Amino acid sequence: MKDDRIEVEGKTIDEAITKACETFGVPREKLHIEILAEGTPGFFGLGSKKARIRAGLLKIDVTSIIDEGDGLPARPVPPPETDGSLTTQEGADALRAKEILEGILERMQIPCPVSVEENEEIIFLNIQGDGGGLLIGKKGQNLDALQHILNKAVHRGGNGGKMIVVDTETYRKRREEMLVNLAARLGEKVKKTQKAVTVGNMNAHERRIIHLALKNDTEVVTKSRGEGDLRKILIMPAKREKARERRSHNQEATAK
Amino acid sequence: MKELIKYMAQALVDHPDQVEVSEIVGEQTSVIELRVAKDDLGKVIGKQGRTAKAMRTILSAASTKVRKRTVLEIIE
Repeated sequence: MKDDRIEVEGKTIDEAITKACETFGVPREKLHIEILAEGTPGFFGLGSKKARIRAGLLKIDVTSIIDEGDGLPARPVPPPETDGSLTTQEGADALRAKEILEGILERMQIPCPVSVEENEEIIFLNIQGDGGGLLIGKKGQNLDALQHILNKAVHRGGNGGKMIVVDTETYRKRREEMLVNLAARLGEKVKKTQKAVTVGNMNAHERRIIHLALKNDTEVVTKSRGEGDLRKILIMPAKREKARERRSHNQEATAK
Repeated sequence: MKELIKYMAQALVDHPDQVEVSEIVGEQTSVIELRVAKDDLGKVIGKQGRTAKAMRTILSAASTKVRKRTVLEIIE
């Protein structure tokens, strides 16, 4: 084997190791693994940093291990994936989603190739090339519409399955960054003024980003209020803070 | 445009063979009529009309490209 050592990327170190094992076709014990970078989980696999490892076979009786295949099902050894694509295996759903999306784009007369990635939670479809903003639409509505149709078409039974995310020109990532910034700004504002702030006009996914962005902030609490299109996100100062303030306020009042 | 709606509808329903689409072409605005099997009606409309709305959004995006307006009517 001339590729003595390879570098593998994965969402987590474990995933990278699993991939390395698959590449070599040996169990983990037979690999020498060096961790190059620990990954940071992003949101839904977006904006995450991948974990990188360097893996090589342990020098002891390498040939016999490869010959026997050692427990793993015999399969042609895939070329070492060093480009770090997330794709572990493309399930039937992922392929169907890609096919439908390409079919829709073709009939919209915007024929663009679609790349597909899949992890444990989502199927991620990326429309390559420039739709000139037409594919994104106002506030991402065209992208959301495509995504909705695909989710309905692929999970026709309605029993769910992996969520399908459609993206182009890194729109989702840019939007997420924007929302995280917004959340941070509003969080600061709430802390400073100790007054609740509401933000409307967001879909469930966008609200989730806000909730998650402020999850670890102990000084503010987030909640969603209202129903349907009127549902708004509410950022308020944490109760304890409020109570403490009220108490000190009362003490001041009685002191006077 | 007609093909676009037909393709999406067929991907959504349980009886793709019963999807019928006709287009009434106008100078500026075209109307696309979509007919599906009775028990598939809910599938093309969706909860709170979300799927129908999504199809209309995609349709209008595609129409913008050819500088036209297209209206989707789902016929019961």
